[in-house]
Amino acid sequence: MNELIYNLAIWLDDTEWSRMLHESYYMYNWVESTHVLTLMVSLGILFLIDLRMLGLALPDIPASRIAERLSVPMLVGFAVMFSTGILLFYAVPVRTSQSLWFRIKMVLLVACAVNAFLFHKRMNESITTWDIEPRAPGRLRLGAMLSLAFWSIVVVCGRFIAYDWFDCDTSPNTLIDIVSGCIDGQTRF
Amino acid sequence: MIAAMFTSYPRTLTVVAALLALLTLAYGGAMDAVYPSLLGVFEWLETTWFGVIGKTWGAAFAFVEAVHLLGLALLGGCVLAGDGRLLGVVLTDVPVQTVVERTHRVFVFGLSISLATGIFMACGVATKIYYLPVYWFKMLALSAGMLFHFQIRRPLLSHDIQSLNPVVVKMVAVASMLVWFMVAATGRWIGFSG
Repeated sequence: MNELIYNLAIWLDDTEWSRMLHESYYMYNWVESTHVLTLMVSLGILFLIDLRMLGLALPDIPASRIAERLSVPMLVGFAVMFSTGILLFYAVPVRTSQSLWFRIKMVLLVACAVNAFLFHKRMNESITTWDIEPRAPGRLRLGAMLSLAFWSIVVVCGRFIAYDWFDCDTSPNTLIDIVSGCIDGQTRF
Repeated sequence: MIAAMFTSYPRTLTVVAALLALLTLAYGGAMDAVYPSLLGVFEWLETTWFGVIGKTWGAAFAFVEAVHLLGLALLGGCVLAGDGRLLGVVLTDVPVQTVVERTHRVFVFGLSISLATGIFMACGVATKIYYLPVYWFKMLALSAGMLFHFQIRRPLLSHDIQSLNPVVVKMVAVASMLVWFMVAATGRWIGFSG
């Protein structure tokens, strides 16, 4: 699996556009800034929805309205965030694919997606019974708490990718090297 | 007419005057006189506990950076929901007063997180940001944002919003979104400078 990811990263790294994006000071910074600033759209609104379910924000507005009406701007924000995230990976594929933080982030993103799917399924099944209650039922509150926790750790991991604490060529720890999928260290950046 | 304007909008005019004074201080030459004396303050910031932790423990600095982003996300979500409602593009079937009032509480929470973590981060890199023009842009934008939010937007929207001129309400929403976008964008650009 690591070989496959590594070969894909090498192939991406060899493309001209990857090099151009990586070496373009302004373009790379614009993409990174857009990625970070869309947090304000997507995660900010998601946090509002989660806090509503926990009864900590907008408690007198029906939960279904908050979730439905805010989902469109949230999804637009997520679309931009994912697109720019893919571009950031494309600009530095070899180092990023061998980053411990990037790998934790990807696992958590899958966990976020599964949690969001289950949350919406459960919410749609039971919404009529508690829509105007200030707090959602226990299982949905758990889903909201998991969403807040997972996304917060995603942001922390995303921030940590920029640091080289556990890069393949700086970390002598074997376990971290295995989890990071280190193959050739940082011979390519 | 000027007297009538002042009696109708004393708070708004005072805030505009304060912002103009800040701009004059920043770009009118007065800053050149004040700027060198501020270096001592920034050097002192690096010697505080926050400064020492931020400088010597990179993981703590990076973690606080991430929390700063989370506070900013919360703030941004409230701005978009509240101002989006004022513009009539989101939550249109919920009373505007309810959305504005409820999002304000969360906004204050998000702003508090961002300010607290921002102070910590500034202490860790104080002598670096002192020399960055974009840091001073951010401080201007942040001052403008806080003055605008607490001294113009909030007092204005505490009245019955339906009785206000819809154009004024929409202008307030657009201005609010722009000023907080400016705060976030200049903050991001600090990371690319120096």
